[in-house]
Amino acid sequence: MGCDSVLSTQSSALQSMTTDELEKLLAQQPVALLHRLARGRVHRHFRAGKRRLIELLLQHSASNRAGFESDLQTLIEGQGSRTEPGPSRTHPPPTIAHKKTSPRGAEPESAETTISLSAWLEGLGVPSPQPFVPDPWQSEALSALNETDVVISVPTGSGKTYVAVEAARRAMEDNRSVIYTSPLKALSNTKYTEFSRIFGPDKVGILTGDRQENGQAPLLIMTTEILRNLLYDAASGEIDVRLDTLGLVILDESQYIADPERGVVWEETIIFCPSQARLLLLSASIGNPQDIADWLTSIRSTVCRLVRHSKRTVPLRAGYLHPNGKLTPLFRTLGIPYGHPNQLHPEAKRLFLEYEEETLPSGRPRR
Amino acid sequence: MPPSIHPVDLVTALRHKHLTPAIVFLTSRRACDEAMETFDHADLVLPPVRQEAIAVALERITVQHPSIAEHPLIPIVRRIGVAAHHAGHLPSWKIAIEELMRQGHLDAVFATTTLAAGVDFPARTVVITQSSIRKSRDFTDLTIGEVQQIAGRAGRRGKDLVGFAIVTPSPYIDLTVLTKGLTGQPEAVDSQFTISYPMVLNLLKAHPHEQIQGILAKSFAQFQLNQRAELLEQKLDALHVQMEPFGPRVCTDWITQWQTFDHARRHRHTRHQTHRSESPEISARLPFLTPGRVVGLSRGRGIVLRQYRSKGQKNSMLTILRPDSAVTECPVTSVKEVFDRTYDCAEIPTYPWCSTETFDRLSHQLEELPPRLPVLPILVSTSSEPLPDAIVQSLGDFPCPTCPSRPACQKDFMTASRLRQEQQRHTKSIQALRTSLWHRFQERVEVLQKFGYLTLATQLTIEGEWARLIRIDHSLLITELIRAEAFTGADPSLLAGIFASLAHDDDRPGAFPRISAGLSSLLGQVRRLAESLSPYEDPPLLRADVAALVERWVADPTLTWIGLCRLTTMAEGDIYRLLARTLEFLSQAQALRSTHPGLAESASHAITLIRRGVLEELP
Repeated sequence: MGCDSVLSTQSSALQSMTTDELEKLLAQQPVALLHRLARGRVHRHFRAGKRRLIELLLQHSASNRAGFESDLQTLIEGQGSRTEPGPSRTHPPPTIAHKKTSPRGAEPESAETTISLSAWLEGLGVPSPQPFVPDPWQSEALSALNETDVVISVPTGSGKTYVAVEAARRAMEDNRSVIYTSPLKALSNTKYTEFSRIFGPDKVGILTGDRQENGQAPLLIMTTEILRNLLYDAASGEIDVRLDTLGLVILDESQYIADPERGVVWEETIIFCPSQARLLLLSASIGNPQDIADWLTSIRSTVCRLVRHSKRTVPLRAGYLHPNGKLTPLFRTLGIPYGHPNQLHPEAKRLFLEYEEETLPSGRPRR
Repeated sequence: MPPSIHPVDLVTALRHKHLTPAIVFLTSRRACDEAMETFDHADLVLPPVRQEAIAVALERITVQHPSIAEHPLIPIVRRIGVAAHHAGHLPSWKIAIEELMRQGHLDAVFATTTLAAGVDFPARTVVITQSSIRKSRDFTDLTIGEVQQIAGRAGRRGKDLVGFAIVTPSPYIDLTVLTKGLTGQPEAVDSQFTISYPMVLNLLKAHPHEQIQGILAKSFAQFQLNQRAELLEQKLDALHVQMEPFGPRVCTDWITQWQTFDHARRHRHTRHQTHRSESPEISARLPFLTPGRVVGLSRGRGIVLRQYRSKGQKNSMLTILRPDSAVTECPVTSVKEVFDRTYDCAEIPTYPWCSTETFDRLSHQLEELPPRLPVLPILVSTSSEPLPDAIVQSLGDFPCPTCPSRPACQKDFMTASRLRQEQQRHTKSIQALRTSLWHRFQERVEVLQKFGYLTLATQLTIEGEWARLIRIDHSLLITELIRAEAFTGADPSLLAGIFASLAHDDDRPGAFPRISAGLSSLLGQVRRLAESLSPYEDPPLLRADVAALVERWVADPTLTWIGLCRLTTMAEGDIYRLLARTLEFLSQAQALRSTHPGLAESASHAITLIRRGVLEELP
């Protein structure tokens, strides 16, 4: 077999090799073989990238060249015998011998199930303008809010704001006031601008730690901390705060309840939220929204309704862009294969392996 | 190959595939800024129509937010349609970029992942370049929720049919974190309930002490604790069921009984082992094989020089002086006869184990020995065992050896004792879970009583009445400072400086050379107090540079924003946030108008002085 002759010439050459030749030979070997060779020779060899590994191996070989070379020889031969059983495969020239093992991703079965780049890019574009129709979950949340508290857990960008706006509008039409809280002052400001545009500037106010703007407006925007303070003041009975007319409290980005420093504020707010006011918790997708809903049910007078879904309004596709500018799909499927993180596109996998091999420094430094 | 794709190439590639507008999330602010620099001489200019549109839109925003007029990034934004957006920028700049993005003027925005939650604008494409994120001082892998939060920005409702999340590698990226993040189920959120001093004061102001436990029980923390406790209780029930077949044996508490018995048995076992190697005859001889003793070996005679134990040898060993001054080592078993003859032997701790004179004398005496010597009569005791100790003796007290259920106990003991241990552990942790919040609350109450904010009957004292209005981090330190009259007579700039150092919790390095003597001495006082309070409250960073910066801003009303930024290496956005947070803290001091009018007045004065220029642009 062709492979055998190549290997035998390699191995016979091994006996009398200069360091340069040895280095070249090592560079031709797949990295896995080098790691096997380094076992017991190089301390923490698994932390080293290929180039560094070769360097370390050469350093080591100075002390016991003969043993090193014979081990290398056995390993190369073992490698040869392992690739041998595939007789149909034509053997590439020895200079690029390591390519033999690296495109492991090119399994034959993947060919028909794998999405191509052009198919992946298809469908990109701007939808034709359509009259806005609320999604079923949005209507469901709104109608549930008439009777009870609602927890919404949906992916980012699904249209939580629509529910907030619509709920606020309905509450204000009933002459009940609304408080909308967000975790960040910057977000409060954005919402203030947005809501002022929707409801008119006289209907919307904003409260920050040191300033009030239009503080008597029926729709007040504030950070959750401010609302918590208001509730404390009301509990100790010193500030009027129109809590009796308060009809709706909207807590945006409620997943902040898990924030190590500030999460407690959300809990305090929810615990002290007056019972006649409805609570609307808007949250990005979280793992246990049912727990939050159950909790609300256990502490509030009505049974809390959970509205959740994980389907995005605009479907998402994932891609991989190699530093050389080559774009491929990241997964084999068109969309995201939820629950199957290993269904990588063979091309993306190959490119990333190549990338790692070239850039991984010796011993990834602690970041 | 470059370690990561060049920003210019990235934008080119995205434009080529019609994947713009895109948000590119980078590791750090610096990475964002460096990415912007690469566009300085890039020739990917936009068509003039779009450049014009951006200019018009920017001008409209500048009317509202004049602070962005001179922003150094504006030329690139206008020419190429890319921008940077991170916490180092002023909020007004971020608002401007968000607005441009919403109107669809930009092709790419380079942002940091740190503020992924604060980025409130979608795009067609999101580019992810890293798998970890800087949190306080360390890098941690992105959680599934965070990856989805980032990827969720892709795809604008009504503007895109599809959104794209594109991963492009940079050093240290871990692809599995991202693929898991994209395909996985977001993590469950856990309560982070903590009990702070102001919370205790406010709760006790509004509710009597005995109601508090009920209020704490309403927290999500308690809800989750209860869930865990319920889970444990279920396990406990399952354990009870599992333990049932082990139920009634001869002993009521057979597990403990067996445990003690088993322990004693094992204990005896190990003691026995050390003696097993020697036969009774040999061990009876040992006390007589002392240095100087004449013994008979299989060939000839010798004098014992020492007796020792060696690790590899089963038996005790002897060093023996043989005729012709030879010294040999042999096991005690090779001794055939022990003679009734000893010589004086001066022992030393090294070879040949006796002094030189003794050695010479013994060698001589060995030659001189008569051919027949009387053999020492050694009595071999029939009970081979040395005296068994108390534990082993007490084995006889156990019923187990003769008990009918002994085999069953022996067989089941391992499982049963493991179950029993688990049961005890669960019972303990259920108890701890059910009461932990209340205990934490009580701890806080005790500290507040110690400092005199609460009476022993857990009523608010006069001090407590105003202290509960300070509802920010480091509240204990602040109220203690107020009580120590640290701020009496402090002018607004000094007060603002101290509050800035209390409020600033970022350790990004900044530099400011000069600090006024008054502020410096006051800051020293604050540091000392903070240190003495450290058992009760984590001390703040109390950085002098930020204190000095804010002091200057308040003390010098002619100082412009640009001038202020020149004084320090801090980023504009950080200075803004520092001032905003100082305002927040000062407004708490302002709330103490009725009890501390001087402080409140100084604070409100400081607030008006801080609110100028850029800080007035936003509500």
